[in-house]
Amino acid sequence: MTQDIEPPRPQVVLNTFDTQSQTPAQKWKPSSADMQHYYERLLPFRYIFQWLSHSPKATKDFTMREFAYEHRSGAYQRYNSYESQEDFKKSVVSANPTRFEVGAVYTVNPKERRNLPKNALKPISKELVFDIDLTDYDDIRTCCQGTDICMKCWKFIRVGSKIIESALKEDFGFKHLVWVFSGRRGAHCWISDARARNLDEGTRKAIVEYMDVLSSMQGKFKKLKKPYHPHVERSFNFLKEEFIDIVLQDQEPWLTSASTPSDAKAWTQIDELLSFIPEKSLQSELRNKWKDQKSLSTSKSKWEDINDVAKRVLKSQLQVTLLNEAKKDIIIYYMYPRLDVEVSRQVIHLLKSPFCIHPGTGNVCVPFDPTRNISNNPEDDDYGFNPTTSPNLKQIQDELESWERSKSKDSDEPQDESKRLADYDKTSLKPYVDHFAKFVNDLIKDELRAKREREDDSLDF
Amino acid sequence: MFRQVKRKTAGRRNFEDVSSSSSGDKKGGADLISQLNNIYQSRLTFYDIPPLEEITLEEFENWSIDRLKLLIEIESYGARSKSIKDIEVALRPLLLKYLPMNGNSSDGKINPTLYQERKKDHYSHFILRLVFCRSEELRKKFIKNEGILFRIRYNLLTPKEQEDFLMSNSHRLHWKFISQEEKLANFDQLYNASNLIIKNHLLQEGIGSEITNEQVKQHIKFKENFIKLPFEKVTNLINSRSIFLKGGYAYIPTSLQLNLIVTEFQDNLNTILLRTFQTLPRLEEDDRILPLLNNLGLNFSNIQYDTNNFGSDDTNDINAQSIQTPEILQHYPLCARILQKQLSFNSHLKYGGRQQLGLFLKGIGLNVDEALKFWSQQFLKKINQEKFNKEYKYNIRHNYGLEGARINYKPWDCATILAKAKPSKDEYHGCPYRDLSVNNLISNLNELGIEDQHQINEIMDDVDKRDYSIACTRVFELTHQKELKASSGAVAESMHINHPNLYFDRSRQLERSMEKKKEISV
Repeated sequence: MTQDIEPPRPQVVLNTFDTQSQTPAQKWKPSSADMQHYYERLLPFRYIFQWLSHSPKATKDFTMREFAYEHRSGAYQRYNSYESQEDFKKSVVSANPTRFEVGAVYTVNPKERRNLPKNALKPISKELVFDIDLTDYDDIRTCCQGTDICMKCWKFIRVGSKIIESALKEDFGFKHLVWVFSGRRGAHCWISDARARNLDEGTRKAIVEYMDVLSSMQGKFKKLKKPYHPHVERSFNFLKEEFIDIVLQDQEPWLTSASTPSDAKAWTQIDELLSFIPEKSLQSELRNKWKDQKSLSTSKSKWEDINDVAKRVLKSQLQVTLLNEAKKDIIIYYMYPRLDVEVSRQVIHLLKSPFCIHPGTGNVCVPFDPTRNISNNPEDDDYGFNPTTSPNLKQIQDELESWERSKSKDSDEPQDESKRLADYDKTSLKPYVDHFAKFVNDLIKDELRAKREREDDSLDF
Repeated sequence: MFRQVKRKTAGRRNFEDVSSSSSGDKKGGADLISQLNNIYQSRLTFYDIPPLEEITLEEFENWSIDRLKLLIEIESYGARSKSIKDIEVALRPLLLKYLPMNGNSSDGKINPTLYQERKKDHYSHFILRLVFCRSEELRKKFIKNEGILFRIRYNLLTPKEQEDFLMSNSHRLHWKFISQEEKLANFDQLYNASNLIIKNHLLQEGIGSEITNEQVKQHIKFKENFIKLPFEKVTNLINSRSIFLKGGYAYIPTSLQLNLIVTEFQDNLNTILLRTFQTLPRLEEDDRILPLLNNLGLNFSNIQYDTNNFGSDDTNDINAQSIQTPEILQHYPLCARILQKQLSFNSHLKYGGRQQLGLFLKGIGLNVDEALKFWSQQFLKKINQEKFNKEYKYNIRHNYGLEGARINYKPWDCATILAKAKPSKDEYHGCPYRDLSVNNLISNLNELGIEDQHQINEIMDDVDKRDYSIACTRVFELTHQKELKASSGAVAESMHINHPNLYFDRSRQLERSMEKKKEISV
């Protein structure tokens, strides 16, 4: 099996890869033929089609939907639309883009916009989407920078998705949401409830701002309103459990030693930390203590220092209360998800479709479950979705090949069973397709039920 | 409604016909009459159904004038930037005088007096829609002031009436009250999310100057009613995280409900006014209603400075030279005087001052060429023409709608001036009654010729009460005593100054009528 001799792919793929500094030979990038093969045989068009059509059949939600291609040449082609699942697949295969993106449903068929007056093309609906990207965590990440990720910093995404998901479900009452790995260093959340699809931009903006707790912390006082709003309180409860693990141990943002230069990132981060401390005397006391430290001083010890020094410095109960509140704010400041507001606000914003291949890494943009590991790899069961071992095009091509090789070896087996098996089911893509299929099925069931109810209602008249 | 009056003169009475022509409703007239009886059930209404009964021309005129007086008062209080609470207190006696609205008698019946009260309210509202639908500016004023009136009246309702009112309008409000159980089950979240707005509301209600968190909790537990409604309805409360959300519903404390209803009322009114405006041409058929409506419209614009008339031909003596002469300067209100003084003194004004004075001058009739001349003359003592052209010309032309978005900017009224940031060091825009130190203000008043200690004390009292435009009006009256006496009756006597250009115009108007009198007597 090729899996056994799997190259150390994740490490290679996930190393520095930004468009300026990369040396192309360094890593595997899917070729045009790889993509062609993937579109023809592996990409589960059926589920993407049903997901966007909200039905097993083609509806206006699908036929009036904009798709955009990013071509190998770098050209970006907007306003494609398709009549059916077959047309969808045929067009993508023949265009063979490096990736395709999903846009809004319009009043008219986007493909035909040239034959129509300019203002006829109006966006009507689109999934509500959220985008978290690890590059936005660069100021607090110490493990990686830029486009790199590792299992340490992915934990930020993990806890972030938990926060966003619980707010969307519990506060806004959405049910049908799916998380998709963006292929390199982030995740997208698609919310497909009819109510979410029909939100206007003002409401989308309000929802993102509701979620965007960090921007309420900007400004002079760097404080969140107390008592915390229920959403903030719930988020804090998620975060406090992981703070020691993710920030104090994994990231070590405040790690210093006597040789750490005073302009190092760690000191900037320490100043950042101190700026939260409400009492000026405590601030300077802590700063002096840490500056004078000769040995290695970890983030964990600094975090504990705050309480130790406070016991000496703070006089009143009120000061203690304020400090405790500030410490809660610090935890939120360091770990709360950083959101891309524009992606969520604009109805016409395009976003890479699930199951696309990230052109730079070859990773499949697989839908995943942020709460549990679905990869069938028991090593990740404690971790959850692991982006460093998630399916990669090269890997699944090899898997498909070896599956076929093993089939042809014992070709005396009955053929019809293998015929029925979809190609992606022969690879490690299977659990992710199943996860997505279940999501799509639940969505369609709900849509059909709502449609039936509407029809019943109209019959009453 | 107007057709109806016309028909009456033609001697034709046909309810069927009237109802279908005035509302486009296919239902019979009798149906609508019964609906009317229904809407008169409550003393507060969204004015959904147009009036259908006939009224006399006299009623038409008197009712609308009474309502207009009320709206004028509201506008005037609003311009003096009073809080809603203050307006409410001040307005209560006027409401009783012009548009009394008593609650239903204890048996719930609508007796003829009540019916008449509500009818007057109903008709006058619809008549004024015709008056105020004609321009964006009038519509805005009408919507704002009717909104305040609506809010005040809602507060006058008994809790039972409020609940009934909400119930009968539930179809448009999409909300439901939550049960005590649901409230207590979510008590902590409700408190954590909304304690601040509830607290602020209680403070505004004047329950005390200090409210402890414990008091807020007690209030939520025992007094506060919450409603829940789809979150899409209250996006402006979601983004600030000041309400509790659960399962797609937003939980709104009663103190915010009123805002929602008023917003709904105003949104609704806005759509309807636009629609009324579109059908207005049909009204031109009637030669008796139209002058009446025009007259009513004029009455209202009397209380506001009509910014559309600036630059008219009787102001052609305004140019870059004349506005530096005492003949013109004497008509300036104190704010403009101070700006001019500082401009001459420093040969410069900062942005806020340039805007305020520049637009004021535009308002008194200074055209763009003269404005460029004036400003460059003033600035040239400090900077050369090239620098002026580079740094200031664009801005002046912009104010005249010749650059950028090409908006024809209007002179600032007092409310705008008071809403802007206060002047900091070396800035001279704003309202002198608010922004000058006491000593500085008094010396400025002395320069205007107000030296009587008693008079100065009165002005200072207004200032202390933050009634800046009243102080300004008082100064106007004191500095124009002679003219006002001479022209008594010719100009509406105690008109409230809520716009610097109104001060200027009235001052010139008085001067002219004096001159005319002189000519006649000579």
